[in-house]
Amino acid sequence: MMNSTNNALEVITLVESKYNVVKTEHISKYQVAFEVIREDIHSMLNFLKNSGWKQLSYLSAIDWPEEDKMELVYIVFNWDKGVHIQIRSKIDRENPEMDSILPIFPGCKYYEREAHEFFGIVFHGNPDSMKQLILEGWDDIPPLRKDFDPRAYSEAHFPQREYTETFIELNQQESKQEKRAARQAHIDEVRKGGKK
Amino acid sequence: MKSTKFSELSQEQVDRKWWEIGDFFRRNSLWMLMYCTGCCAIELPPAMTSAYDMERLGMGPMATPRQADILLVSGYLSLKTLRRLIYTYEQMSEPKYVVGLGSCTINGGIYHDSHAVINQLDQYVPVDVYVAGCMPNTEAVMNGFVDLMDAIKHKTANGWKKYRDNYDWYRQNQIASLGEVEVHDEFHE
Ligand code: SF4
Repeated sequence: MMNSTNNALEVITLVESKYNVVKTEHISKYQVAFEVIREDIHSMLNFLKNSGWKQLSYLSAIDWPEEDKMELVYIVFNWDKGVHIQIRSKIDRENPEMDSILPIFPGCKYYEREAHEFFGIVFHGNPDSMKQLILEGWDDIPPLRKDFDPRAYSEAHFPQREYTETFIELNQQESKQEKRAARQAHIDEVRKGGKK
Repeated sequence: MKSTKFSELSQEQVDRKWWEIGDFFRRNSLWMLMYCTGCCAIELPPAMTSAYDMERLGMGPMATPRQADILLVSGYLSLKTLRRLIYTYEQMSEPKYVVGLGSCTINGGIYHDSHAVINQLDQYVPVDVYVAGCMPNTEAVMNGFVDLMDAIKHKTANGWKKYRDNYDWYRQNQIASLGEVEVHDEFHE
């Protein structure tokens, strides 16, 4: 019988002894996150794959416009220990590029294609990564970047239905909060028979 | 021997009679092609199975567009799906009807400000019946089908004629939103 708490801790000791980890997060019994420098990602994924983290569960990115960085997230999973490991690394936001992990996890092919489409990240070494996947004939900046305005895009591209009458206006209603609080106070008072 | 005399009918009147007969049979045996793109599709299993039993209205699911009468669009449509929907609609043989489920097809619903999905289905293909709600409950869906049957009976389900007559207008809208209607992907090339 394996102890899963120890599994997560074991992973932390194992990885920290081998790599220069910028930040470690012990999220839960089954989840650990490491922030590493970008050059370490390949060897670390290779190492984890050989230690049992055989499945690449997800690969995506987060946009941090304030820091001017794009953060890559790789999630790998171990079926024997039940532990997810997140590996994160910040890359340049203006021209985001990364070497593909295709030789390590062939399943990354479509994830990288998706990340290219939604964040504009270029993956060197993945021949398919520039092909379109979900958005066809996209004509704007990658839509999951924080500086993309979906509402403006929607208004510019898709006709909106015009309504001549406003049927329900929920936004302008006065707040019922005070009335509710007063009623609750009254209920409390009655319940206690007028005593404090 | 007394001969049976019919008053002469013009070709137009004869055609209309045949259409009426055709419409009678058509509305009592509607085959649906379900284009289940959105979450509204979850209302279809209860409508089809014993709870509401669509088959008592003579409706059934159909596997291919060329054999179907109704194109059922259940919910939001992304641009990618809209291209395939237009392909599908144009493959169907006339007369054909479109039913739009949910507020997503009417005005975009909760996805009204999304970059990925369209806001108004009837700009791209003619819609005969809308069923409002997010999601519409099963009674409403069934009621929508009954409304469609009524519309066929009263000759108001004319979407397919509108599409044929105003093809340029529809095409123009499709191109304005999609850029290009033709699909270019790994499976089509
Ligand atoms: S109308 Fe509501 S339930 Fe239907 S597809 Fe849109 S969001 Fe989903």
